[in-house]
Amino acid sequence: MDFTVVADNFGYFMLGAWPAGPLGGAALTLLLSLASALASGALGLVLGVGLSMLDGAPRRALFLFLAFFRAVPVIMLIFWTYFLLPILFGVGVPGVATVVVALSLIGGAYLAHSVHAGILSLPAGQWQAGMALGMGRWQVMRLVVLPQALPVMVPSFINQWVALVKDTSLAYVIGVGELSFVATQVSNREMVYPTEIFLFVAFVYYLLCVALERAAFAVGRRYAAPAR
Amino acid sequence: MKKTYLASLLILAVASGAAQADRLDDIKKAGVLRVAAFDSNPPFGFVDAKTKRIVGLDVDYAQELAKKLNVKLELVPTNPANRIPLLTANKVDVVLANFTITEERAKQVNFSIPYFASGQQFLAKKGTLSSPDQLGKLRIGVDKGTTNEIVLREKYPSATLVAYDDTPFAFTALRNGNVQAITQDGPKLVGLLANVPDKEKYEIPPFSISDDLIGAGIPKGEARLTAFVSETLVELEANGRAQQIYDAWFGPNSKTPLKRIFRIGDGKK
Repeated sequence: MDFTVVADNFGYFMLGAWPAGPLGGAALTLLLSLASALASGALGLVLGVGLSMLDGAPRRALFLFLAFFRAVPVIMLIFWTYFLLPILFGVGVPGVATVVVALSLIGGAYLAHSVHAGILSLPAGQWQAGMALGMGRWQVMRLVVLPQALPVMVPSFINQWVALVKDTSLAYVIGVGELSFVATQVSNREMVYPTEIFLFVAFVYYLLCVALERAAFAVGRRYAAPAR
Repeated sequence: MKKTYLASLLILAVASGAAQADRLDDIKKAGVLRVAAFDSNPPFGFVDAKTKRIVGLDVDYAQELAKKLNVKLELVPTNPANRIPLLTANKVDVVLANFTITEERAKQVNFSIPYFASGQQFLAKKGTLSSPDQLGKLRIGVDKGTTNEIVLREKYPSATLVAYDDTPFAFTALRNGNVQAITQDGPKLVGLLANVPDKEKYEIPPFSISDDLIGAGIPKGEARLTAFVSETLVELEANGRAQQIYDAWFGPNSKTPLKRIFRIGDGKK
């Protein structure tokens, strides 16, 4: 194994053609991940609370919406948004935005169900106690249920975000220059070092995911309910 | 993956053909010419190790087009399979990516006159392949969405084909013994082999199974843009620039010396 190929192209792996060209490589992977993590988290929280609070037709509509985005493969959503929207509706979505939107919608749909399950995990007594104190349903949700349920959901959020970091590599299908895409370019030019290059790429994804997990746990512990 | 592509391409094919404003005017107004080029296929289009930009024979032609229009050139990296979707979805104005002209593709995109010619050849470990008769018994790596795949399936239906995203992937499969040969346009294989450190282990047997003409792909129905590209190509041949571009990548002093067998304007058909 000869890792000089990694050392020689380290800058390109980290930043792509930046600053002469667009930002790419690991930096773009990080940006795509952060943007989609925030958006999918917010979306998951809102829709998960919606699942718990809505009734009747709106709830069924929400279920269908979530079922659709949980069933569509990420790569297909990216490909279709990028190539099909311009043809059908004349709307051109840039590559980077396409990836963030696709990952946020799909990640948000998964997280909505995690949030819903977290809310359901609390005993009904919590709701009844809140109501008995004269609170409305939304007040109980905000003041009693969510503060207890959210820390329980942290592992689910981390799971989803770790999956999301790795799914950013699917951006290659529309030519967005994130880490795995630029690594492929280098590998295709150098021809004989795929093992070294992709071992390094795997290691960078590992570092990103571990960092994310550590950070999320630290935040989760800070806001967790005090141990009883 | 493959199914995704096929399904999407099918829909793209059906949905394309909508009328649009004149693209040549749009390009001048925007001040940018968007060209799809290969990023992994030396010497046609690849990322230069020093400048980190896409360079190559196709890119040189793209630069000439942008220069004549007096606009900025924006390069969009593509693989073989994305070339038609990029055009039909209005993501690029021109495809310059070793794009073989075929009747089937001409239903979905316009082509300029050809600026390059090649034949479909094979790359194998030395001693594996010496005549086309052997092809039917081999496992052969092809690139998805290329004419090479279609021609091989038609002419040698008994061969086992394995489709890869791009030529270097196919070559990796060949190195590792997953396939016994890979197929592509001859000059592309020559360009690939030039970058392989242990190239003495491989060979490109001296036969080809098709004659291909390479042209620029342009969105369907853009007659003025098509005429502009074709006229520019003729000019580049007349003023010697086409020869310069060829020599830069395939000339006697290049990494991949190859005799020039085709000049722009040859064999009009």
